[in-house]
Amino acid sequence: MGVFRPGRCRVVAVGLVLFGSGLLFSPGAGAATQHLEKHYTVKGRPVVVIENVGNGRIEVKSWKNQEIVVNATQTSDKVSVESAQVGDRIDVTSSLTDPSVQGPDAEADLQLTVPEETELQLKTQTGLIYVEQVTGDMKLESYAGDVHLKEVSGYIIVRTTGGSLVCTQCGGKLDFESISGNAQILQPSLNAINLRTTTGNVLFDGDFVRTGLYSMKSGRGLVEVRFSGNDSFYLNAQTATGTVDNQAAAYLKVDPNVVRHMASRFAKGLFGTVGQGLAKVELSTYSGTIRILKRD
Amino acid sequence: MQCEDIEGALVSEGLESLSGAARAHLAVCSSCRNSVADLEAIAQAARSLPAEVEPPARVWVSLRAQLEAEGLIRETLPVPARVRAPWWQPMAQLFSHRLLAASLAGCLLLAAAVLELRRPLPGPAQSSAPASASVPVDDQLFNSSRTLNEQEQDLSNMIQASTSPVDTSLRQNLKDLDEFIAECEQHLKQSPNDQLAREYLAAAVQQKAELLSAMIDRGRSVN
Repeated sequence: MGVFRPGRCRVVAVGLVLFGSGLLFSPGAGAATQHLEKHYTVKGRPVVVIENVGNGRIEVKSWKNQEIVVNATQTSDKVSVESAQVGDRIDVTSSLTDPSVQGPDAEADLQLTVPEETELQLKTQTGLIYVEQVTGDMKLESYAGDVHLKEVSGYIIVRTTGGSLVCTQCGGKLDFESISGNAQILQPSLNAINLRTTTGNVLFDGDFVRTGLYSMKSGRGLVEVRFSGNDSFYLNAQTATGTVDNQAAAYLKVDPNVVRHMASRFAKGLFGTVGQGLAKVELSTYSGTIRILKRD
Repeated sequence: MQCEDIEGALVSEGLESLSGAARAHLAVCSSCRNSVADLEAIAQAARSLPAEVEPPARVWVSLRAQLEAEGLIRETLPVPARVRAPWWQPMAQLFSHRLLAASLAGCLLLAAAVLELRRPLPGPAQSSAPASASVPVDDQLFNSSRTLNEQEQDLSNMIQASTSPVDTSLRQNLKDLDEFIAECEQHLKQSPNDQLAREYLAAAVQQKAELLSAMIDRGRSVN
């Protein structure tokens, strides 16, 4: 070690870039609130990767410019925020300089402005992830932080342990999995949904796309679907030990061959069509409640 | 010597054996001096990185099989004859690290749970089995769940240590999962062929394996 050979020069160059960027983002010792800003020019559809090892909020909004602006706000020098650009990929990492630090000293809020078509890979611990008006595939992961999406579209993957998802006017395909987090899907234009939570609740309030596939499951929670009178879907609702609360009997034409569709003879279920039955909707709960109702 | 010559000198001579001319230039050029200082800092940081661990032979076997299956390579490469320690020694070394062993066990259980999920649905004859039939002793799903419980006991000291909001939340979720798994298992003891309950149990066991793995990772990074 210590002797730089030709093969190592590229690694060294990248190291220098990261090193330099890190210096730009590190606040001085004993700093009060720090606001840091960085600009990156990008082409095409960029990829933004954020790993927030500390706590704090991640907010991503879009604009028309082919430029990504990273703003970091922190109140402590116990958090280090680094960012780097490699081609059209922007990496932002917030990490604790002292892993034992907790509370506000462990927080760094990140605010990004990105082109409308941007791919996102965001990971945080307890802070909120908020994404608005971004089109592109995204994977959003959190332990205890909530995830709020507004007017986003693409292939959206959300993984939380306890954090909840609120998805308003989202399009494309959504895949959500959580242990205790809730999922609220409001006014969507999603054509594929896969929601799974063990103890959380699920709410779908909106229209089903006619060619769509929708699967919503909760182990112990409430799975509630509020559809519109114009919808067209086939419904398969099943529970092992819970209940099915059908408050839309007037709109749901029940399939008489119920037993044929049951996962087992132990399950209780409701099968039927609304309209022509074009979309496919599968609801299930182990011991919770499935509620089906029509919006006013 | 000029600034542009320094980069060439670094490449050909290395940091520790710079020529006198290069050192003379560095003495008067702050820009080059800063660059060299940065390089030295990176070299120092690189020295402190852990040595690379050679992956076990089975990884290469698996990788080659996958590449052959995908038609990306066609020739079966000869495997050199190796006279080495007993086959179990690398495994023993691998599992000597407790945390790594726990992680691997979690992955294995995850795979087991996924396999269980993919098992075909019971046919009509099986579905009509008496509801009170006992759970098969070799039931993979129940075994996975039991092994995870043992692992959780082993890790309890580590995962109870931190009081951070994240760890508190993770512990609460683990408790929720344990309760849900117990509920599903109890139900399946009464109704072993309830496929819906089996699916929920399998999903919960998989989530527990992932959660324990995440808690181990966090414990490792903090401790």
